[in-house]
Amino acid sequence: MKRRAFAGLAGAALLAGCGVSQAPNEIVVQRFFGTCNAQYGSQTDVAAAQTECGIITTLINKFRAENPDIKVTVSTVAWPGYNQLSAQMATGDAPDVVTMHESAIPDFQSRHLLEPMGEELRAVGVEPDNFTEASLKGVTIAGNVWGMPFDTWAPLWHINMNYFRQAGLVRDDKPILPSSPEELIEQARQFKKATGKPYFVQALANQKPAYSRNLYTYLMQQDADFFADPKRIKLRTPEARRIVEMFRTLYEEGLTTRDQDYAAATRGFMNGDGGVYLVGTWMIGDYEAESRRPDRPLSNGYTVYPYPQLFPEKDATFADGHSWVMPVKERTPQQRQAVYRLLKFLADNNFQWARTGHLPAFTSVIESAEFKALPYRDNIAKIALTGTPLPAGVERRFAIEDTIGEELAPAIAGQKSVEAALFDAEHRVNDLLFHVLATSGEP
Amino acid sequence: MAAGSMVGRTLSDRLILVAVIVLGIVMVAPIVWALGLSLKTNAELMVDTSSVLHAPYTLQNYWDLVIGSPVFRWFVNSMIVSLGMTIGVLVLSSLAGYGFARLEFPGRDIIFVLVLFGLAVPEQAVIIPRHQLFSELGLHNTYIGLILPGLSTSFGVFLMTQYFRAIPREVDEAAMLDNATRFQVFWRVLLPMTLPAQATLGIYTFLHAWNDYWWPLISGTNAQMYTVTVGIASTQINFAESAGLGFLMAQAIFAALPILIVYVFFQKYIVRAVSGGAT
Amino acid sequence: MSVAAAHVTDSRETRSGARGDWSSLLYVAPFLLIYIVLVVYPLFSGMWLSLHKADFFGERVFVGLENFTRLLADKVFLGTLWNTFYFIVLTVPALAIIGLGLALALNRTTRAAAVLRGVFFSSSVLSVTIVTLLWRVVFIPDGGFIATVLEMFGKPPVAFLSDEDLALPAIAITTIWWCIGLPMMLFLAALQQVPKELYEAAALDNAGRWKTLWSVTLPSIRRTFALVIIIEIVLQFQLFGQAQLMTLGGPNNASRPIVLFIYEVGFNRWDIGYAAAAAQILFGLILMAALAQYFVARRKGEA
Repeated sequence: MKRRAFAGLAGAALLAGCGVSQAPNEIVVQRFFGTCNAQYGSQTDVAAAQTECGIITTLINKFRAENPDIKVTVSTVAWPGYNQLSAQMATGDAPDVVTMHESAIPDFQSRHLLEPMGEELRAVGVEPDNFTEASLKGVTIAGNVWGMPFDTWAPLWHINMNYFRQAGLVRDDKPILPSSPEELIEQARQFKKATGKPYFVQALANQKPAYSRNLYTYLMQQDADFFADPKRIKLRTPEARRIVEMFRTLYEEGLTTRDQDYAAATRGFMNGDGGVYLVGTWMIGDYEAESRRPDRPLSNGYTVYPYPQLFPEKDATFADGHSWVMPVKERTPQQRQAVYRLLKFLADNNFQWARTGHLPAFTSVIESAEFKALPYRDNIAKIALTGTPLPAGVERRFAIEDTIGEELAPAIAGQKSVEAALFDAEHRVNDLLFHVLATSGEP
Repeated sequence: MAAGSMVGRTLSDRLILVAVIVLGIVMVAPIVWALGLSLKTNAELMVDTSSVLHAPYTLQNYWDLVIGSPVFRWFVNSMIVSLGMTIGVLVLSSLAGYGFARLEFPGRDIIFVLVLFGLAVPEQAVIIPRHQLFSELGLHNTYIGLILPGLSTSFGVFLMTQYFRAIPREVDEAAMLDNATRFQVFWRVLLPMTLPAQATLGIYTFLHAWNDYWWPLISGTNAQMYTVTVGIASTQINFAESAGLGFLMAQAIFAALPILIVYVFFQKYIVRAVSGGAT
Repeated sequence: MSVAAAHVTDSRETRSGARGDWSSLLYVAPFLLIYIVLVVYPLFSGMWLSLHKADFFGERVFVGLENFTRLLADKVFLGTLWNTFYFIVLTVPALAIIGLGLALALNRTTRAAAVLRGVFFSSSVLSVTIVTLLWRVVFIPDGGFIATVLEMFGKPPVAFLSDEDLALPAIAITTIWWCIGLPMMLFLAALQQVPKELYEAAALDNAGRWKTLWSVTLPSIRRTFALVIIIEIVLQFQLFGQAQLMTLGGPNNASRPIVLFIYEVGFNRWDIGYAAAAAQILFGLILMAALAQYFVARRKGEA
């Protein structure tokens, strides 16, 4: 028995070693954007790839093929993957380079979990001066660059023009979009009467961030300074109430799809479930491709616009960006060099990534003829100016997004009063922020 | 079905039969539905999931799985973790069970009660400190790290203690008269007599390890260290990001197969193992 | 499950065949070491941690009982307590009654009964992630199994997982499907241990089937029934995977159980002192259930 026990322990010890060992030329790239190995696993033709997943997968495949001396291990996490990343960082098992929303950078940076990257990016020829203004802002803290921006994105109105035409909401081949909450509801009613379909397609089930992003955008348009103090949110305001009530009315009158989760809504818009799908830049490529297929609800009838300005105060829309960051970690010089070679490669191919629908992170790309030739980019170009993140200094934005989403969902679906939901949302967010322990050690 | 005695004489017999068959259909329906989805192309499902009800069917998703799914790596990880945990639990529990049942040492009964107390400590209640401890020891994302918590459960010790206690003392005494050492008595005489308990405990531990979700989710966070359970979870949290519904289902069916095959072959033992400890 | 065994303990003093000495401790030492490091230490460390405001990445400040007062005022946490109890009410009686019913129906030696027993137990060997994946495609309103069946009858789909009133029941149905094997098998084992003489005596009395069931079978498995109830309470208290994977605790926090709360607060909000405090409450509740089981088992054992 003892001999067996020893053999078991020895065996286990050996296995423990092989579990995590990383070759000196191996880098672990962790990302979201999904898995699509079945379709793209062995493809290197980036230009032929579609969708976020397809393009990033083929990009990395191509990098692998061109850099046989580097072993790239890709680890795909479920969006957004920050629980997992936190656990990895706490345990010293962080990946070498990882996708991160610019809005999440401050949380990790303030806890000394990220490496500053500016100098080394410059050294490989990825010049931060070439970042777009939004991107540069998104990755800069205290004068240092903490990530390589990959894109800027914002939620958009994806529009089924065939239905819009049917509803008489097209003029000069452009959709007629509302300019006030009242007009929105009116047009939505008109739309439903004419087409029998709801005006909005929304992912309302198990999809917390969408609620918060809608709220942010329309608060920003009213110039409501809801984060005047980055430690306290203010949601018990007429501005917030107006927005939630608008969405609630849309829901009550059946002017939006209900109960669809993200997958269902994404598929539903494609299948003609409604007129306008509220989702981010990343779907443009997919829907554009769909609009070129014959005999489909979107055939020759797709377009996309930023959130229309419903309030006169300000033309603004909530925006964020994806970036690549490097967790603090011991790396061999070879690995370090490999990471920057990969980043340089991704920067050089930023146009390919922008085919997804995201706005490029580099000025040279955004100004290139190639990019401007992509469909619908004119419509959304102004996001570069109107796109607004939450104010600097607001921490735990993903947790906040979830909390607000959890509270707004029942308010919009009529299961909770708007007043109570905003009260609870405000209270919970502030409670969360109050209990964030700054790394400075403040009590 | 040759249910001679079930198709029955009385009305109540028939009602029972109908109820059981209805429940049986409820049991099988989700699996059949998933199987159907796995046999359709993702593109077709994207347009209409009810296309599952009619042809054409294809094995494409299973083929894609073979070429493009990390599920095989997950299998290897699950196998290592489950076997490691099973062996570890059997060794530790047998030793400790013998110790508590047959030997005397200072504080034995108090220690035993304290171990018993462990049965009431849910894994979830100690998760934060345990996670921190493993961080400090550098055990996350290692096989040892995935195996160790399974070895700390009192259940096995408990089961083995009882089995050893149930063996008549005369057996030991007879062996002792033959001048066997205490370890020899344990190893040659008593341990073989506990084989049924070992089988029960082994199967129970293996199943438990194979299906564990909570600890591997928190500890095995690197994709190379995913067990099947966590791997499947990683693909499903965001449906839309996945390679399609059909592919997901194919992966789930495929991941369920080994354990179902094991179940079909060892059904009797598995049932005894899972329910055995409780009665 | 593990708590299940507690009742069988028989802590009668064993007369020693071996001398009491320290070397005997060697047999139990390996387990004890792991037990102390991985259970005892984290248990106390967690209690200590629950008195701190602490960040996942290191910083901590002693705050006394603040985390507990905060918990008691936290609507979401109180909601998780309610959800967990409600979930137990939804699942445990159903598991016990359906399990007993199946055991009574399938307690025969025919081949068909054996096959059916196998079918009803088979789901128990699947992992929670596969189970939830299967049931999600049953429940989703958009082309799910139930929606497709309803559509055939011209009925609109039902959004089980995004309806506040249906989310937890849907999770409960999934759980019953997954867990029905264990209670069924426990009852079957108990039924087989009912002494044959009792049935023979009943037959001599010309007792009918129902009377036999009522006056012989059920009383004989009384103890198993109590045991099944308590085992299932302890098991279902720990609901996590189904809720995390099927609903993320929503909508409107209607399906968030305690364990998911602990996980989210710890790993998503990084507020580990608060998570540790919630874990203490979970521990207290499970401890009560386990003690209840111990005493029930004991009293029955003595009676």
